[in-house]
Amino acid sequence: MDLLNPSAFLFALLAVPIILLYLLRLQRREQTVSSTLLWRQATMDREANTLWQRLRRSLLLILQLITLAFLVFALVRPYVNVPGAVSGRSIVLLDASASMQATDVAPSRFEAARARVRDLINGLGVNDQMTLILVDGAPRALSALTSDKSQLLDALDSARPSLDAANWSAAIALAVATGAGDEDTTTLVLSDGAHADDLGLLPGKARFIPIGNSGDNVAISALTLRRTLRGLSAFVRVTNSGSQDERVLVSLRADGALVDARVLNVPAGAFAEWTIGNINPNAVAVDARIDEAQRNFLAVDDAAYAVNTANTTRHALLLTRGNRFLEQALASLPGLRVTRAATMPPDAQTYDLYVLDNMTVTLPARANALLIGAQSVFTTSGVFSNTDYVRTEAHPIARNVDWRGVNVLDAQRVNAPGWLRPVIESQGGPLVLAGESAKDDLQRAVLITFDLRRSDLPLQIAFPILIANSVEWLAPAQGLNVPLNVKPGEVVPIPENTRVTLPSGEEVVAGRRGFAQTDRPGIYTFDAGQAQGAFAVNFSNVSESRIAPNPNLQVGSTNANAEQVESRATSQREFWHWLAGIALVLLLAEWWVYQRGLPAWLRTTPRPQMPSR
Amino acid sequence: MLSEAFLQSLRTLRLNAPRRRVGSLTGERRSVKRGRSVEFADYRNYTPGDDPRRVDWNVYARLERPYIKLFEDEEDLTTHILLDDSPSMFWQPDEEADGQHLAQKWLCAAQLAVVLGYVALASGDKVVLETSSFQRFGPKRGVASAAALIAFVERVSATDKRDLRAAPTGRRQPLNAWLKRYALDARPGLCILISDMLDEGGYTEGFNALGNSRLDVNLLHTLSADELDPQFTGDLRLKDVETANHQDMSLDDAVLSQYRQRLTAWSEAIAAQVRRRGGRYHLTDTSLPIEQIVLKDLRRAEWLV
Repeated sequence: MDLLNPSAFLFALLAVPIILLYLLRLQRREQTVSSTLLWRQATMDREANTLWQRLRRSLLLILQLITLAFLVFALVRPYVNVPGAVSGRSIVLLDASASMQATDVAPSRFEAARARVRDLINGLGVNDQMTLILVDGAPRALSALTSDKSQLLDALDSARPSLDAANWSAAIALAVATGAGDEDTTTLVLSDGAHADDLGLLPGKARFIPIGNSGDNVAISALTLRRTLRGLSAFVRVTNSGSQDERVLVSLRADGALVDARVLNVPAGAFAEWTIGNINPNAVAVDARIDEAQRNFLAVDDAAYAVNTANTTRHALLLTRGNRFLEQALASLPGLRVTRAATMPPDAQTYDLYVLDNMTVTLPARANALLIGAQSVFTTSGVFSNTDYVRTEAHPIARNVDWRGVNVLDAQRVNAPGWLRPVIESQGGPLVLAGESAKDDLQRAVLITFDLRRSDLPLQIAFPILIANSVEWLAPAQGLNVPLNVKPGEVVPIPENTRVTLPSGEEVVAGRRGFAQTDRPGIYTFDAGQAQGAFAVNFSNVSESRIAPNPNLQVGSTNANAEQVESRATSQREFWHWLAGIALVLLLAEWWVYQRGLPAWLRTTPRPQMPSR
Repeated sequence: MLSEAFLQSLRTLRLNAPRRRVGSLTGERRSVKRGRSVEFADYRNYTPGDDPRRVDWNVYARLERPYIKLFEDEEDLTTHILLDDSPSMFWQPDEEADGQHLAQKWLCAAQLAVVLGYVALASGDKVVLETSSFQRFGPKRGVASAAALIAFVERVSATDKRDLRAAPTGRRQPLNAWLKRYALDARPGLCILISDMLDEGGYTEGFNALGNSRLDVNLLHTLSADELDPQFTGDLRLKDVETANHQDMSLDDAVLSQYRQRLTAWSEAIAAQVRRRGGRYHLTDTSLPIEQIVLKDLRRAEWLV
């Protein structure tokens, strides 16, 4: 116990005037009585009384002095150091990233962190305030800055760990908006410290409470399917992010039936690969699991799922006068059968996709088309040569496409209808457009406004990616343009009212904005009437699989290692308000004694009975 | 001072003399000594137990109802009422009200004196009333003197109050001196002392003197509620209204409790003194209504029958 304000002991000098006043107070009031005879006798009895009774006479003085003592003791503001508690305003950043689900501390890192926060909340003083920020992919405040413990505990109980990586920069922005960096505000970070390097930017007083003690984890980091001559084969990669070599039993199942199982030796910090052939090519989906491992503290990355699209074939018609780059790019795409022609063939067969390379032909109604260079679908209004790259819109066909090194000599200015949106724009105008029409001749279209031969695009890495993305978007493998592999929490664009079967077997109908209940890894199947299919939700987050805690994380401007943090994770708990409360009670007692005299149980002599009359 | 209705209700009462004394018998009571009647005084109704020889047969022959002849002289009982009017009898705790009206304590004592005197007069006794300031009424007998008795007590109240205001402590008469002086020329009989007994000099000598003069001392001990159960608290300087002595006290519950213990012991000592001399003792709280004291408490204590 220590004192914050020892100079307040000077207030103890107030005892002097109190005692002086008590001595001066013995100015007696006059009261006539019929005779002092009996009073004198009563006093004579009292003279023989003990010291205690003389003390009792000064009870008021004693009570006043004790009251003063308590008040002075409250004014010097004594405190005790309470471990793990906080005082003042505090912002708690609670890491809810996937690595917090690791079970190296029982029951899990997240639950351990939750217990620590609960201790912090219960240790809050009367005037202390706290706010909780849950840090996952989209950090959010669970409660406002408050001193209401029950509100904070309710908010804490509502927190759930996510399968995302933590977005620490957004969390820091949120903390700063809440008041981090202020004089009396302390920011507490409860995290395993993995992948939290951004925390060095946290302003003001900050404190890091490390959670977790082991980084041993094996994960299935890849599962892919491919069609081979012998049928369907799967490729599994198991990564060991721990510090010791690991023997891992991995099993592979096709539509729930075991295909193969194998023990893999995975060296520390490395990976092992396994290729399994002879899988039933008609299987809808395949999943790989880690069934046994010595030291594996994160469960969520122990399974991976893949949807088999190898048995679906799409037919594309390439209309060109000869373009080796384009032919190569299309021919390399799995599941796509390309028919090359120089003119529109007379047969009535409809193709899933029409690719027009500088050709002006009439397309059948509701066709999906990739239009390159000169085309006859949309009118043009001249040519522009100011083709410096400006920006890329977010669109499935532009995913992973790096346009920065692409040079285009000139491009056509297309009078595109409203539904055709620019995807890649240059200073002069759009270079690539894409869109989906509800009623026009075309259903889906991707338009490249320049001739491939008048650019170096076919020589760039961007070209095959753009073509692959475009084909995938224009003629999806499952009829619907549904991605085969999504991350947990991602929204899957599925038409409204599509029935989706969750991995648990439950059926859910997709809403207007697609299907969002992808919070559990696994295989999701859907039935949209004209198209059936499946997609896999995979954790497959390599960085979150590396769960090694980093207790020496730099948080804020001070570099605090774990020991310093633990020793500094104490707070000064003042208890002056208890002392002031006791002083108030004593003051009330003093007033009561003054008004009423001593209570009956303190009196030594009982009240005598009146003489008989 | 007392309502007519209350006085009427007293007419059926009599003073109960606990024992008979030779030479001090009233006509009300059966005589052990032959009456030497010299002077006719009055008739009264025959009551069972009266000596049939004293029935006036001539009257009986005429009216066919027995009457007893009463005679003056030593055959009657003299009732001595000694009313203490020392300043302590006029005390009341709040001095503000002092000038407005008489203290409750004195009023009660004066009313008791009138009641006892009236009962004695009504039952044919001779009544003498003396105050401690030596103002005397009587001896008188017969109910006709009741008005004079009431007027006397009222006069005493008025003069005492005036005197007290002029000199609050100057008129103190020690209890012993008063009783001894009264005993000198008192006829034997029933003696009723109405006093608070608050006297520094005590009371034993006075009681002895009265006893020697063959007076039965009956004590009506009048104490006010503020004396029986005082409610003072705090640091006080207690002033004696009679002696101007003062006593510094810090009153708390413990002191008050001591006071009540002393009061109990003191009143019991007085009661023992009175009873040892064959008299009766009654402690009266003067804050009670006079009707309750007279018609209930005194009858229960068998002072009045």
